[in-house]
Amino acid sequence: MLFNSLTFVVFFVVVVSAYWALRSWPARKNLLLVASYIFYGAWNPPFALLLFATTALDFFLGAQIASAQEPRARKAWMVASVTSNLSMLGFFKYGNFLLENTQWLLARCGIAYSPPHLDIFLPIGISFYTFHSLSYTLDVYRGVCQPTKSLRDFVLAVSFFPQLVAGPIVRAADFLPQLVAAPALRRGQFYWGLLLMTLGMFEKIVLADTMLSGAADAVFGYGGPLPALDAWAGVLAFSGQIFFDFAGYSTCAIGAALCLGFHLKDNFRFPYAAIGFSDFWRRWHISLSTFLRDFLYIPLGGNRSGPTRAAINLMIVMFIGGLWHGAAWTFVVWGLIHGVLLVIERLARAIGGDAPWTEALPVKLLLGLATYAGVCLTWVFFRATDFTTASRLVHAMVGLLPHGDPLLTTRALVKVGCVSAGLLVAHWSLRDTSVEAVVAKMPRWLVTTLWTLMLGAIILTQGNGNAFIYFQF
Amino acid sequence: MPSSTSSFDFVRPIPEQSWRGILLAVLLVTAVATVGWEIRARAWGYAPTLNDTTDLWAQRREAVRPDSLAIVGDSRPHFDLDLDVLEQGLGRRPIQLARDGSCAYPVLADLTNDESFHGTIICSLVPGMMIAPGGPLMANSEEILKRYHHWTLAQRSGHELGMRLEEHIAFLKEGELDLDALLAKIPLPPRAGTGHPPGPPYFGSLDRERRERMIDQCAQPGWLQDRVKHGWPALMTPPPPPSYVPKDVFMANMGKAVEQRFHDIAAAVAKLRARGGKLVFVRFPMGGELKKIEDLGTPRAGIWTRILKDSGAPGIYFEDFPELSAFTPPENSHLSAPDSVEFTKRLVPHLKKALAQ
Repeated sequence: MLFNSLTFVVFFVVVVSAYWALRSWPARKNLLLVASYIFYGAWNPPFALLLFATTALDFFLGAQIASAQEPRARKAWMVASVTSNLSMLGFFKYGNFLLENTQWLLARCGIAYSPPHLDIFLPIGISFYTFHSLSYTLDVYRGVCQPTKSLRDFVLAVSFFPQLVAGPIVRAADFLPQLVAAPALRRGQFYWGLLLMTLGMFEKIVLADTMLSGAADAVFGYGGPLPALDAWAGVLAFSGQIFFDFAGYSTCAIGAALCLGFHLKDNFRFPYAAIGFSDFWRRWHISLSTFLRDFLYIPLGGNRSGPTRAAINLMIVMFIGGLWHGAAWTFVVWGLIHGVLLVIERLARAIGGDAPWTEALPVKLLLGLATYAGVCLTWVFFRATDFTTASRLVHAMVGLLPHGDPLLTTRALVKVGCVSAGLLVAHWSLRDTSVEAVVAKMPRWLVTTLWTLMLGAIILTQGNGNAFIYFQF
Repeated sequence: MPSSTSSFDFVRPIPEQSWRGILLAVLLVTAVATVGWEIRARAWGYAPTLNDTTDLWAQRREAVRPDSLAIVGDSRPHFDLDLDVLEQGLGRRPIQLARDGSCAYPVLADLTNDESFHGTIICSLVPGMMIAPGGPLMANSEEILKRYHHWTLAQRSGHELGMRLEEHIAFLKEGELDLDALLAKIPLPPRAGTGHPPGPPYFGSLDRERRERMIDQCAQPGWLQDRVKHGWPALMTPPPPPSYVPKDVFMANMGKAVEQRFHDIAAAVAKLRARGGKLVFVRFPMGGELKKIEDLGTPRAGIWTRILKDSGAPGIYFEDFPELSAFTPPENSHLSAPDSVEFTKRLVPHLKKALAQ
């Protein structure tokens, strides 16, 4: 079920009430487990079985890795876990993509091949829970965490409903320890959790869906040439939409977990105030970038084998990162562009070093705006359904199209402009601090006013809302 | 080494505030503001009624049985047909699947492709809407079908909860009193060449069977009736061809798409008839300026005649019968609630005759 739905409101009230009414910690965990599977099964019940099968297999493989005496045996069990997880992901998410590309490749070699189109229904959130589960066996293999003896705890760690379908990618090593003993709520924790849930829903329902999605959909769905103004407005709208959509989900997840006594790490840290692309990836979808860093970049050798090898490693990581988002070459190109930008940035730093003048505020602002513009340009490939659309939009954005049809109304332009400006101001104001620190300093009346306004806007928006963008990944 | 048996060292900071007092104040102010907004909405003439959501449509579509009587089409059968009268006259409770501002064809095709369905379809035929090859009319129909075919348990329960609220709260009006619609009411200078004509304001109430009734405020002369009436011409005028496609190419493509639609409709009707099902096309009453536009843009001798000829299905054109053409739609496109009951009574004998063919 969606966070932004009446069903979830009722579900959450019932689960939280029952959870805190129970005294026994095992009973509470059982309740959370059942609730999490109901939360997931509400989309498509059979996929809950798939989720359980994946989890149970990794539980077994984690135990085998831990108990194996020989390094070779440990490695074999780890490879089995990686293979099983990626095979399942590959079948459901990339099956048709692989077949289509095989067909294309064979056609280039003069071989006619017509693959069957597999009528595969993608299990929601499969990329997230596969990584949740996989992180466990990999961490056990690396010796970062010991295996749990409780299947119930591990199944709950993977399926914990706040983070199940769209992240953050919570590692078992971070979550399992929280299942050892009943959590105690700190002063204000429950209320702060509720406020974060309100903030997350406000970001999703009001800012992403109501203020920005219309302009983004119109521009990316248009088949003709556009003026630069419309192209930029559409891309800025999508930049804001995907942030509010995904960060909104993560904020809801963190808030819901807090209400239940659990602590999840930040997944976003004001990414549009990043200075440089490496800074961006330290602030955007942090749980994915750290996952790829720890389980792919570093095992590949990281930057330990010289700059050339480090650059290749970066490109591999960003290729996989792009592909993780979807079975399409546009996602791959998006990832590769980020890879190239990261490599260029490293080169620039190696040549120029961290010169003192780069610390001047105007320079930082300029570099930050350039980073934002670069990130926006890459979003074109992320959102466009094909390269023709992406190419047309990029051409329009850089003013290479002589003519274009005005598409967005004054109202749409004003909405995109106001929200994008507000987003940038907020990110730059908060880039070196946290929401918690800012709220702690706010007068009580201001917190009350902001919370009331967000809740009021959510009520005014009505409706059951749209699915979160990242669900499809 | 962190382990599953060790304590977790990450703890989120919690800002120091008087949280209980803040939450109480938030709930109090929000409750007062919500009640105030509800009073304001009722003062404006809004009454609690269901929104015509994709969920409500999916729920009705699910109610279709193999031998059901289904109503398919646009807003005209939605407003103009009374389900009770049809049940009395035809012996079966009809299922209302018509949808405002939609093309009837995708729903028609969905029903006729359903191998289990061998019932009866009353299909509204507004020529310009029936042959729409794409755009919002098709998107509207495709949206409801997508919902029906992928309707999750969570969406079903959300729909049940939503209906309970909508039946009691007047300000829950999608597209009318939601935040987006309210923002759209802020006057801003138009940008040349952009924007679509606005849809009609709230002028009908809906029940759980999707029976739509025109509200009295629209049935009587006044600002609401004028606003709805004057909105139709722009909405019924096809948009200009896109500038990036040569006009002759565009027209050729349109011609092909329309021919394909004629063929598809005939095939759909044949499929239904082969299973023992029946279908009748109906042209519902219209008037005033809107009738002039439709008669000029899509004359009867064109699309209407062609579809009936190709499909071999019977058709009832309101103008052929004095008792059906005696009604004056208050806002030129739909009948008032009392008129819809009388119109349905007069339509039933014609439906019986057509379906007996």
